[in-house]
Amino acid sequence: MSRTAGSLRGYILVRIGLMVPMVWVLLTVVFLLMRVAPGDPISATLGGKLSPAELARRQHALGFDKPILTQYFEYLGQVVQLKFGKTITDGQSIGSIVVSNGGATLELTIAALLVAVLVGLPLGLVAGRYRETIGDAVIRVFGILTYAAPVFFVGLLCQLLFAKNLNWLPASTQASAIVQATAPVTTHILLLDLVIHGQWGDIGDVLKHLILPAVTLGLLVAGVFIRLVRVNVGQALGGDYVEAARARGVPERKVVTRHAFKNALVPVVTVMGLQVALLLGGAVLTEQTFNWPGLGSQLLKYLNNRDYIGVQGIVTVFALVVVFVSLIIDIINAMIDPRVRY
Amino acid sequence: MRTHRFAMLGCVALLAGATAACGSSSSDTNSGSGSGGSSTSGSSTPASTKLADTIIWGTTDTVVSLDPAGAYDLGSQQLIGNMYQNLLSIPAGGTDPQPDAAQSCDFSDPKTYTCKLKPGLKFSNGDPLTSADVKFSFDRELKIADPSGASSLLAPLKETLAPDPETVTFKLKQADAVWPFILTHTVAAIVPSKVYPADKKQPDADAIGSGPYKLVKYTPGQQAVFVANPNYTGPNKAQTPNIIVQYYNQPSALKLAIEQGDVDIAYRSLSPTDLKSLASESNKGIKVITGNGTEIRYIVFNVTKPPANQLAVRRAIAQVVDRQAISTNVYNDTVKPLWSTIPASLPGAIPAFKTAFGDKPNIPAAKAELEKAGIKLPLTLDGWYTPTHYGPAEVDLWNEIKRQLEASGLFKVNLDSTEWTQYKDAAFSKHQYYFYGLGWFPDYPDPDNYLSPFVRDGGFFQNGYKNANVDKWLDAELATSDQNERIKYFQKVQEQEAKDVPLIPLWEGKQTAAIKDTVMGMEKTFDPAFQFRFWLVTKKAS
Repeated sequence: MSRTAGSLRGYILVRIGLMVPMVWVLLTVVFLLMRVAPGDPISATLGGKLSPAELARRQHALGFDKPILTQYFEYLGQVVQLKFGKTITDGQSIGSIVVSNGGATLELTIAALLVAVLVGLPLGLVAGRYRETIGDAVIRVFGILTYAAPVFFVGLLCQLLFAKNLNWLPASTQASAIVQATAPVTTHILLLDLVIHGQWGDIGDVLKHLILPAVTLGLLVAGVFIRLVRVNVGQALGGDYVEAARARGVPERKVVTRHAFKNALVPVVTVMGLQVALLLGGAVLTEQTFNWPGLGSQLLKYLNNRDYIGVQGIVTVFALVVVFVSLIIDIINAMIDPRVRY
Repeated sequence: MRTHRFAMLGCVALLAGATAACGSSSSDTNSGSGSGGSSTSGSSTPASTKLADTIIWGTTDTVVSLDPAGAYDLGSQQLIGNMYQNLLSIPAGGTDPQPDAAQSCDFSDPKTYTCKLKPGLKFSNGDPLTSADVKFSFDRELKIADPSGASSLLAPLKETLAPDPETVTFKLKQADAVWPFILTHTVAAIVPSKVYPADKKQPDADAIGSGPYKLVKYTPGQQAVFVANPNYTGPNKAQTPNIIVQYYNQPSALKLAIEQGDVDIAYRSLSPTDLKSLASESNKGIKVITGNGTEIRYIVFNVTKPPANQLAVRRAIAQVVDRQAISTNVYNDTVKPLWSTIPASLPGAIPAFKTAFGDKPNIPAAKAELEKAGIKLPLTLDGWYTPTHYGPAEVDLWNEIKRQLEASGLFKVNLDSTEWTQYKDAAFSKHQYYFYGLGWFPDYPDPDNYLSPFVRDGGFFQNGYKNANVDKWLDAELATSDQNERIKYFQKVQEQEAKDVPLIPLWEGKQTAAIKDTVMGMEKTFDPAFQFRFWLVTKKAS
């Protein structure tokens, strides 16, 4: 018992230790990519207004003319002290960006995950149960399409159909302008803030705005779930315990739902956690398509303006989230399965 | 529901200390004279018209800073111009600086400019506005010298003095007739010395000014909420108590927003195609309005690099370019031909290129010019443009230029493009291009701002052009405050520009917006100052 507990502790420590080089490599790659790409925040925004001498003065003031290695070590020094700096193009600290925009991304990704679960699991179950039928083929094609179709393309189609042509749903933003203007800010998660402050009348407006982005992003992940659940259900239905249940005279519906589906879901829970990276990547494009005020749209804005601080800060936050979620999943896996050790 | 929301927005204002917006808790309307007091001189709203309490402006502009010390971009300036006061400002429809926070301003000698403040001025937090605040504002601009700010415009300033609470004196390094125009720029906005730090920027959400509107909520990249400033005592009283600025990341989202009724005004920057489409949607209560603008687009030649180093080549291109065809084919006439780098709406502008080359392409004349110079035809040109920095129509603009030049039979044009950050370096610093496109937004609506940056010592783009007479004339116009005298010099420079052709002006933009047909007064704010004046805009109550 103590030996098992000890090795688990060691495993967790090693996994946490590995986070450091992972984050370092990522910071280095982002730093270098931003410096190798031409341009800087000042020339990107004011390059057509200033004389070359004035432009050079401003670049010097921000240290952009220092050797790249000097800039790199200064940057790492700041990161070690958890100082991510303020963006150059709009003077925001990374902390304030994460607080004020992270809520919108969290709201979107949770809603998208919900859509993925609600669409992906039942369809995967049906496809797995009725393998090699027309229904299975249709669901498989649907799963492949939702996974393979670019998020922005699906988003644009949804906007065109449901917002522009049918006028059923709003095309963009997180809420109507007046709802946003009057919404209290406590957690920076708009929906939660409205609930906390009892602004029930505005929740419908926020939910309407959430539907298209959540469906667009959710379908991407739903495609993964459909394929995974289909395969697992198929394997489970061929398992000995399922045969045994059938032999005992358990009705087929119960065999599928209580035995096969339950077991087929175990790896899905693990994969669900791993989809965080996919969700965050998809959120960047979804937020841009739907003018959603999350971290992804901020990242694109800073990228366009070559704002090193903004890009490095947000990418670091994304990376930490993915690394942290992966760590949690690995730890849970290790706790469940004693074979998972270094 | 809508009434309830407007009332809630009013209460946001109340929480922020405003009194103007909460007068209509049971109604979403205010009277035609505006809740902020009497109607403005610029108002065309009939007194009996019921007006909405709130207008929502949708835009794709981005905001760098709401502190004047950190702003040199249009998105920030549009908000700063409504929140802060300057000593001088350009009135709607005008082109000359007029007193705003100042009662009067004058040169006592060519290097000393003195302003007297109006009595009783207050910031939106209730603090009195004195000459000490004005001095503080200029001193901190120079001290902070923010890399994103416009402090470089204050280069002529030697010292700011505040001899008494109502007097401000600017000591200049040299005579500078443009100084009154600089005082209208957001770099000269007045901030409260008791609130703003002297050596760093004020957080955007805590911005305080003395202008017609005050900021009550600001979420970067998403929304800015303004209410009428109850402490404002100037002539530009707010007619609409609440203005919400909603930010969109792309023109297509903005177009959908006005179509769906999410915003009342879609202003900057809808594409010509979107505007054409919206103009046909009057059945949805949308109309497209236009007014004078001062944005320009032009071709630059690096006059040191062949073949653009030959005057005959530059002149032949100027002879062939058809500006009207560009305006119509590329921009659906949302721009108009530009015949000098100074837009026609500014004093002193002359159609120098029309006089020199005619208003229609003259291909025989261009051919003769090239043959006289012994140039083998067709001449191959490598043209460069940047595809997104100036909007999506830039690609179409350069394809139209290529089409026109090649249709003449005199040129063969190879087009290439690169994104702005690379483009700027390649053009200005590495001088890799000799024939390329640029655009310009003015800092202030003075003709000097359309000449000095382009033709003095190679311009900001360092294209190698230098003409001693041009420099002499520009020095002379800066040295005199006699406007008639300045105009004479401006005309000489424009004529020389058309003779030497270091660049070719193409078009000047009209300001264009799509608005709901209930919105009024928008046209009044479209003028060369390029300032969206919230106080002029109203909306009929639904």
